[in-house]
Amino acid sequence: MSGYVMASSENNPSEHHNAEILSIDAGGTMTDTFLMDSNGEFTVGKAKTTPNDESRGFIRSSQDALEDWDLSVEEGFPNLVSTVYSGTAMLNRLVERESEVDVGILITGGMEDTPRMGRGRQSYTGYSYSDRLHVNTHKHPDPLIPRNQIRGVRERIDVKGNALVPLYEADVRDGVHDLLDQDVDHIVVMYLHSYKNGEHEQRTQEIAREIIDERGTDTSVMLSSEYYPTLKESERLNTVTAEAFAAEPSRDQLTNIQNSVDEQGGNVGVRVMASHGGTIDIHANELARTLISGPIGGMIGANYFGEQIGYDNLVCTDIGGTSFDMGVIIDNDWQIDYSPEMARLLLSLPMVNMESVGAGTGSYVRVNPTFDKIELGPESAGDQVGVSAVETDVETVTVTDCHVALGWIDPDNFLGGDMPIDRDVAEREIEEQVAEPLGMGVYEAAQGVIDILESKLQNDLEAVVTGEGYAPSNFKCLSYGGGGPVHTAGYTEDLGFDEVLIPEWAAGFSAFGCGAADYEYRYDQTTSIDIDADLSMEEAAATAGEELTTVWKNLEQKVEDEFKNSNIGRSEIDFQYNILGQYQGQLNSIDIESPVSRVDSPEKLERLIDTFEAEYRRTYSEEARSPELGHTVTQASVRGVRDVVKPEIPTEEKQGPAPPEDAFKDTREAYWDGEWMETQVYELHSLQPGNELTGPAVMEGAATTYALPPDCETYLDEHRVHHLRRTE
Amino acid sequence: MPESYPREHIEDLVDDNLEWNQLHNMMSDFKDADRFQKVRDVLQDRVDWDDPIIIPYADHLYVVAKSDTRWVIKCDCGHEFCEHDENWKTDALINVRDSEEEYLEIYPEDMHPHPEYMELREFFCPGCKTLLEVTNVMPGYPLVHEFEPDIETFYEEWIDEPIPAPEGQSA
Repeated sequence: MSGYVMASSENNPSEHHNAEILSIDAGGTMTDTFLMDSNGEFTVGKAKTTPNDESRGFIRSSQDALEDWDLSVEEGFPNLVSTVYSGTAMLNRLVERESEVDVGILITGGMEDTPRMGRGRQSYTGYSYSDRLHVNTHKHPDPLIPRNQIRGVRERIDVKGNALVPLYEADVRDGVHDLLDQDVDHIVVMYLHSYKNGEHEQRTQEIAREIIDERGTDTSVMLSSEYYPTLKESERLNTVTAEAFAAEPSRDQLTNIQNSVDEQGGNVGVRVMASHGGTIDIHANELARTLISGPIGGMIGANYFGEQIGYDNLVCTDIGGTSFDMGVIIDNDWQIDYSPEMARLLLSLPMVNMESVGAGTGSYVRVNPTFDKIELGPESAGDQVGVSAVETDVETVTVTDCHVALGWIDPDNFLGGDMPIDRDVAEREIEEQVAEPLGMGVYEAAQGVIDILESKLQNDLEAVVTGEGYAPSNFKCLSYGGGGPVHTAGYTEDLGFDEVLIPEWAAGFSAFGCGAADYEYRYDQTTSIDIDADLSMEEAAATAGEELTTVWKNLEQKVEDEFKNSNIGRSEIDFQYNILGQYQGQLNSIDIESPVSRVDSPEKLERLIDTFEAEYRRTYSEEARSPELGHTVTQASVRGVRDVVKPEIPTEEKQGPAPPEDAFKDTREAYWDGEWMETQVYELHSLQPGNELTGPAVMEGAATTYALPPDCETYLDEHRVHHLRRTE
Repeated sequence: MPESYPREHIEDLVDDNLEWNQLHNMMSDFKDADRFQKVRDVLQDRVDWDDPIIIPYADHLYVVAKSDTRWVIKCDCGHEFCEHDENWKTDALINVRDSEEEYLEIYPEDMHPHPEYMELREFFCPGCKTLLEVTNVMPGYPLVHEFEPDIETFYEEWIDEPIPAPEGQSA
């Protein structure tokens, strides 16, 4: 693999590297490695994923990366200080609805069809916009667990936690025997409103364990009130079931990976990327939160980058082959989606919130035969690039083919020359598939495709920023992903961001983000704690304040227990306390980071309420505040963070505005907005901090191309981040 | 997206034998250009009579060409109902359920409409006695004429092909 370098290293290409941070992404087919040394230089590696024993692919991929620095695994691993793993095996079990284990469910009697019926939204979540719009494409997904492995138990807890119907213990016994007769490996227990009162679930666990002991099986029992004590039974059940069905079977795989690190002399605990934006230990109780779909690594990287450089508010944009992902960071924190969709199931997990649209550089370009207009995606060629990638069997023109035809992308330098591209094929196919049916010229048509994509991205981005009530002028827009920098100028035009930033290591930014993730556990619990308006602060602290404090303490204990699994003591943990709060009677809550860890005194409670008021004012305006209604805390969360080594952001001395001679590669003709213009071509990684360039120019890196249209200029700062500006 | 699916795929579509993801892909894509004629072909092969099918009309029913000017609604058993622009239901065998007792033959207790509010009309083919259609309407409501196909517009302006006619009579 072509090792490339983030920090400038003009004359020390491969002297001694001290590999410190290893981040591995085991995809369905390939396992990608991102390796960073103590100087902030990085390299990447690749190997085939080995589903039967993921540790083999892990070692081979690490080896591939280490070879770039002339190191063997035995030489490299002992110096590692941080290793982050993320795999898709868990998600695949959900997607395929296939697992090595059998799971049985005990559920409140009468609710046995909950997994089959799911929620209305599940009939279209995860589909493209047009398929969500049309009812004939809606379909309820297959449930994870078949109906004959679900048994009802008569009992009832109401929304306030009162036991309306006692637990029918005979039902529990029958159900457990029945499920054990079917040889299930795990029994999941999910009763209504158990997040509020888990007594029935706990009693069920006692009975089940007695029977399991009697019968001598090694079945485990998992309670929804312990794993995911949150509102909404369908999501809660999906999540605990996913824990048993998809996550637990991966524990052995993860242990194998840890063992292979140990065997190669590594002295580091392998951590796994989790949906809430931190990494967790492989011994964590709740492993299902490492079921990640979507590229949250980039958001984490962006947040870390912002913290280090001093940018508080960022809009993150990531263009890959298949999708455009956007997320907003405010005051160095991301927003959390509490009910994300994965494999067409709604789960109850905290996940870094991102919007994703199915448009990327690999999106197929087709002419709609009914309306004679160009349409993009939603399907894409993904990593097969396009028709011009002659070694693939792609037959439909993609956006990248248009870039090739327009001269923006050098056919001989795609992915550093690893993927042969034929410009003639691109032109011929665009002519045949797009230009001719529309009666246009080839270049005009290719330009049209790019314009359509960029205006679509611009609209989507506007919806995420302006549509949510934010002013773009308060944000810096960060653009990354292999396909990002070629479109950045186009999709940020006219949106009015404070600045547009492109890190030179855009292609590896998501992997960089995984390496930058905190070691963090996070626990959430649904609450319904009212702070009535007519109470004095003393009365409120003694009632609601006490109650919230107790919930926080319990969650804190859970975080502590998780860290204890990895021999990390309480003194090493940094706790953070959050609530979801609302005015009484509202439907939606806002996320508040509490300034205090306890609210059992009037002063502390007042500080929490003041923070809520300030946040509400910022979100909805002063006029919308309604403290006279009183407040409700609908969810309490505790995050515990422990320090880990993170990648360095390079800082280098600034040189003059003129790029060094060896950065200049060539000039070639490229098509910009209807005109062929002589375009300067530079080597992206050879530019020096302080350099300034004016468009039209193209900067070519190993895994990305940065296109600078005629009316734009760019400036490379001391952190090797490009600042893109319009000239007029 | 294929411009055209293989015949077996279309047969599976007609027989509802496609996997959901195959069906979903077909629905999400642009429509294959020859879908209508392929489906028509499959249906034509499956009936025992020779009158060319002009369009599928409903489950088991087709509009077929008796000559190049006369089009009738015909069941797959061969029974012919009426002209294509008339209501075939007037020629069908009709069973009306308008009492508690008749409703309870097919509904669980307390799960059916009140007979004074709603009656259930079941339409059968006089030829093969297949249940072709069920409507649930207020007593006294006229027979609903579901659909009167505009065959000329469909063939001439939508798919731009000649309207099928019996051999030797095609337009």
